[in-house]
Amino acid sequence: MSYAYLFKYIIIGDTGVGKSCLLLQFTDKRFQPVHDLTIGVEFGARMITIDNKPIKLQIWDTAGQESFRSITRSYYRGAAGALLVYDITRRETFNHLASWLEDARQHANANMTIMLIGNKSDLAHRRAVTTEEGEQFAKEHGLIFMEASAKTAQNVEEAFIKTAATIYTKIQDGVFDVSNESYGIKVGYSGIPGPSGGRDGSSSQGGGCCN
Amino acid sequence: MQEAELHDLSDDADYVASQQQGSASMMRCDSGKRSSSSEPEGAQIVYLKDNVTIHPTLFASERISGRLKLIKQGSSIFMTWIPYKGQSTNARLSEKDRNLYTIRAVPFADVKSIKRHTPALGWQYIIVVLSFGLAFPPLYFYNGGVREFLATVKQHVLLMRSAEDSNVFLVNDFQNPLQRTLSSLELPRAVSAVGVPSTPVPVGESASQQNEERTDISASIPQYNRRQRQKGHDPARDISIQVLEKFSLVTKFARETTSQLFHETNNNGFGPLERRNSNQSTLDYSHKPSDYDEDVPIQSPVEPDPLEFDKLSLVWGKPRQPPLGLEEWTSFLDSEGRVVDPKALRKRIFYGGLEHKFRKKVWALLLGYHTYESTYAEREYQKSIKKTEYETIKNQWQSISREQAKRCTKFRERKGLIEKDVVRTDRSVSFYNGDENPNVNLLRDILLTYSFYNFDLGYCQGMSDLLSPILFVMEDESESFWCFVALMERLGPNFNRDQNGMHSQLFALSKLVELLDSPLHNYFKQSDFLNYFFCFRWILIQFKRELEYEETMRLWEVLWTRHFSEHLHLYLCVAVLKRYRSKIIGEQMDFDTLLKFINELSGQIDLDATLRDAEALCICAGENGAACIPPGTPPSLPVDDGSFYNQQDYDVL
Repeated sequence: MSYAYLFKYIIIGDTGVGKSCLLLQFTDKRFQPVHDLTIGVEFGARMITIDNKPIKLQIWDTAGQESFRSITRSYYRGAAGALLVYDITRRETFNHLASWLEDARQHANANMTIMLIGNKSDLAHRRAVTTEEGEQFAKEHGLIFMEASAKTAQNVEEAFIKTAATIYTKIQDGVFDVSNESYGIKVGYSGIPGPSGGRDGSSSQGGGCCN
Repeated sequence: MQEAELHDLSDDADYVASQQQGSASMMRCDSGKRSSSSEPEGAQIVYLKDNVTIHPTLFASERISGRLKLIKQGSSIFMTWIPYKGQSTNARLSEKDRNLYTIRAVPFADVKSIKRHTPALGWQYIIVVLSFGLAFPPLYFYNGGVREFLATVKQHVLLMRSAEDSNVFLVNDFQNPLQRTLSSLELPRAVSAVGVPSTPVPVGESASQQNEERTDISASIPQYNRRQRQKGHDPARDISIQVLEKFSLVTKFARETTSQLFHETNNNGFGPLERRNSNQSTLDYSHKPSDYDEDVPIQSPVEPDPLEFDKLSLVWGKPRQPPLGLEEWTSFLDSEGRVVDPKALRKRIFYGGLEHKFRKKVWALLLGYHTYESTYAEREYQKSIKKTEYETIKNQWQSISREQAKRCTKFRERKGLIEKDVVRTDRSVSFYNGDENPNVNLLRDILLTYSFYNFDLGYCQGMSDLLSPILFVMEDESESFWCFVALMERLGPNFNRDQNGMHSQLFALSKLVELLDSPLHNYFKQSDFLNYFFCFRWILIQFKRELEYEETMRLWEVLWTRHFSEHLHLYLCVAVLKRYRSKIIGEQMDFDTLLKFINELSGQIDLDATLRDAEALCICAGENGAACIPPGTPPSLPVDDGSFYNQQDYDVL
């Protein structure tokens, strides 16, 4: 199906924080606790609607282990958005955020929109990182922040869409030269607002799953 | 074994002759076996030309000169080319190398075509292509004589100029019943039609002496012509010849497989007929991607695959065999359980894999955990010794108390990582599925023990994928551990922190693609994909995520035979890429699209067909291919033991 824009996302963060589960929840609306660990990079896609425009999200889900970082870095190029994920029940995954961020800043384009996600919010009883700490980190580094649960789907939809909305706003503000695909944005049918894409007629919070 | 046979030329009349003339001397001389007559009874040299030379490489110093002969015996004609000994200045080529190029009495019944090159500058040369696919390297006539050579051939066999290329001469195909008839009638002179490409062959006149056969022949001739025309229309023919010249691949192919092909044609392993069949299946298989292509309009012209001809008919991998079964397995063992001929065993496994129930025994041998020379008893003994040894290493981490673990972050991290990963490894395979599956715990214990055994390397994601089939096959903790250790001796560098093992393989892969498909290489180069990261998963865990579980096991045992190459997996990568080359180039895939496309090939790869292609590519690339792969590239054993596991405090961040 045609889209007004295509945004490329990348999901990064320590191994086992739930990157693949977030992607699966977003693209397939299901939680699969048992799945094979990610080797290299995997891929997902979904259509959403923002400002009545169909936008295709093309999402790269990377392997989290540090050994693979030299390879993972090559996937940063041309990403418009990144979801940086940590696990609220494992403090070390939060502690490693700075190094992930450094990697992203170094290898991605400067205008990449980064969403920080504290995943596994359903496991609040085992929480090792407070919401405030997450907020604080995001504020310090200019990131958008949300806690989410790939298991219950809480905030999953919102996280992906809010990131897209931010990118979309940047386009409207002329931050990107959208003809340059290195920003991770492709223009589809020349941006004409078409009813074909806005199935649910919602504005910036709309979401569909017609990929 | 093959080498010995190759070198044993005592049954070669021409060799014996050249020995006596002192112009060639090969090797081991068993003078007693050699007859004193220069030619076998009834044989007659009908053509002889000196200084006919092969150019194995671009270096003038490595050229090999020899003597080309046509020998007539009865109604058959044979071609030989014997290199001179000691005349060339080629210090870099060993005697053995020279002999590998030797063309021993090749009957013209086996020759499909001869391509003549008469450049305005430089030497004339010919390329002889055999009917079952082999082509000899170009033979350069330093003293001229190509025309005379062809004229002599024409006097003895049916030689027709191709309608498509006046420099290609099609030779009798004696497997065609019609041709056999023609040959038995000894009519070749009459039907030779050089320079009269598409007109009916005037057989009637000369055949008039053989009236009773005449009708048959006349009826059959048009059919024959049609067949030849089809051959002539094959556009890949000329492409191939160009490629042959460009890459000298034929040279390499010829030297490495000549003996094998001739040998196996005779011993009925895979005769020409079977090869032809397998060729057919390759053709069918090659149609699949184009069917696929029809779904998506191709946007860009795709430069032809330079090796397509080779792939279709010059070389092809042998058909796969059924897995090795009980009776055959037993036949490889002596009474005490030693493998009598490990090379033959490995070759057999290369072509068919193993029945599952023998994997337990044979994997331990293939991986090098047990030696081929070991007896049943020795293996049992080693098993018990190694079990104790395993328990000792395992105890190193098991004895870490909770209190101690609190002070040992590295251990906790490693253990946590392994625990997180084993529950995400092959859980859809029944052996590992379900809650609290004890096999999952075994995976964890073995990996954790390995991370103590090889503390420098530790644990890295992907290892559980490699261990899973081993545990599934071995069904024993300690045995699985030691087999895994043996595997990691070779694949350990895949998991180095700095990824050097992966980078060296990806680099070798790029060189192989450059050699075997330069248009595809150029496409990757212009698109800046030369890091080949899109093949990362294929190589890291040896195609495990691309194949079904059973197929993975079959592929691995084939790879572990190291029959043709230690790096067959890289040729496998090339084979898959080549299969989809027209889609990749035609659609001008960008990096993301290519990566997605490659990822989605998971479950789509036809293992047997790809293995055949990989084998053919490996043979075709020969030494040039081997030269693309730096020494020590995994799964070769490390050149310098210390270097690969030198993790130290190197921080990739």
